[in-house]
Amino acid sequence: MSRWLIPSAGDLVELLLLFRAVQGHLFRRYYFFFSYVVSVILASVILGAVLMTEPGSPHYQRWYWTVQFATLVTGYGILLEILNHVLAPYPGAERFARISGLAAFGVIFCFALLAPVIIPRWSPGTVIEFERDLRCVQAIFIFGLLAVIFYYGIPIGKNMKGMIMGYGLYIFTSLVSLALRSYAGTAFDRVWDVVQPLSFVASLVIWLVALWSYCPNPAPDPNIRLEEDYEALVLRTKGLIGTIRSYLGKAARA
Amino acid sequence: MITLIFFLSVAALLFSSLFFLARRKPRAEGGSFALIEARQALNALQSGLLPVELVKRIFAQEDWEFVRSEAPKPVRILFMEERKKTALLWIDEVRVQVRNLQRFHRGSARSYARLNPRVELELALSFAALLSACRLLHVLVYVGGPYAAPRMIGAMANAAARTCEISERSLAFLNAAQMGMLNGRPAGHATR
Repeated sequence: MSRWLIPSAGDLVELLLLFRAVQGHLFRRYYFFFSYVVSVILASVILGAVLMTEPGSPHYQRWYWTVQFATLVTGYGILLEILNHVLAPYPGAERFARISGLAAFGVIFCFALLAPVIIPRWSPGTVIEFERDLRCVQAIFIFGLLAVIFYYGIPIGKNMKGMIMGYGLYIFTSLVSLALRSYAGTAFDRVWDVVQPLSFVASLVIWLVALWSYCPNPAPDPNIRLEEDYEALVLRTKGLIGTIRSYLGKAARA
Repeated sequence: MITLIFFLSVAALLFSSLFFLARRKPRAEGGSFALIEARQALNALQSGLLPVELVKRIFAQEDWEFVRSEAPKPVRILFMEERKKTALLWIDEVRVQVRNLQRFHRGSARSYARLNPRVELELALSFAALLSACRLLHVLVYVGGPYAAPRMIGAMANAAARTCEISERSLAFLNAAQMGMLNGRPAGHATR
């Protein structure tokens, strides 16, 4: 029953999410995020059509992994959305996150292009491991992004927080279940069939609640402007740390 | 098995960061509120926590010598306990204020488009090492009592005082008029 119930609940929440987005004019504001949601809906429609026209066909597996990777790539739009909305007002922090993010994306993209050439047997087992690796890179990317956000104390609004929480939770469960699936083999399939769609429905519910209405990200205070450059600030802070360290060092040696 | 542990560790890292995100208070650093905090931290360190007389009095060996020679055992125990508490509170407070100054640096650096990630990483590690040194001092006093590391306490007070001098220069742009303007606002206003 869970085979039909969970995806149906997911479809319902997806439609509700789109309905609220249209009603609240959120499409224009979160273009990348809703492109991802639309791509997920399209994926469901394509897979549903394949199942209906060719029930029990081996083509389904092929289609499943194709759309899975397509949504995985559009999922990067969510990360781009977070970069644009949360970090854009803070050029320093954004630069930090962008450099590390671009490096991660470059690696994934090159790997995705080269994988069919490098991996001669495109078996489901290999595909699972490949998706696990890609999810792992996404997990590292989100972790790095959150580390930058925490370190620089960047405020996050309700919409963005929900977006990160929902996607992060989905990546977390995907990574755990894919890692366990590739370790335990087909014995884990029964658990996987329930956990994977269930976690996506949970993410959809989080998004629905967080994006029910538009809530802009807090803007930085424009009244405070430092009249010195970054090098001067770094030099000053380095001097400060060096002084304290030398004093503590002397004390430790005494 | 090692592969599985690796992927589960990455997943655990992600989950812990999501947990902290969920619990995070909606307060920003580096806005006008952080600048006021940095200024207050400086004031607290310079006038409240680091004057030589105060540090000398908290860790005065002569006080202990006097109590040890004149007072009965229960008084000596009580004296030691109270002194230890005072010393620990002092160390914690210094650490908190140094942290505020660090927060000020982060709040400022995040707005610079020319920020150098490598330098920032270096600074983060340096601050972490410094705060760890303060923690070590806390442990030393907690375990060995207020007279366990007299030289280190003196050096820490000097170091923090020097920190204040440097930080004061970096906060010089916040003149009295600007401080008045910032103080006139509700604290959370600029950070929401």
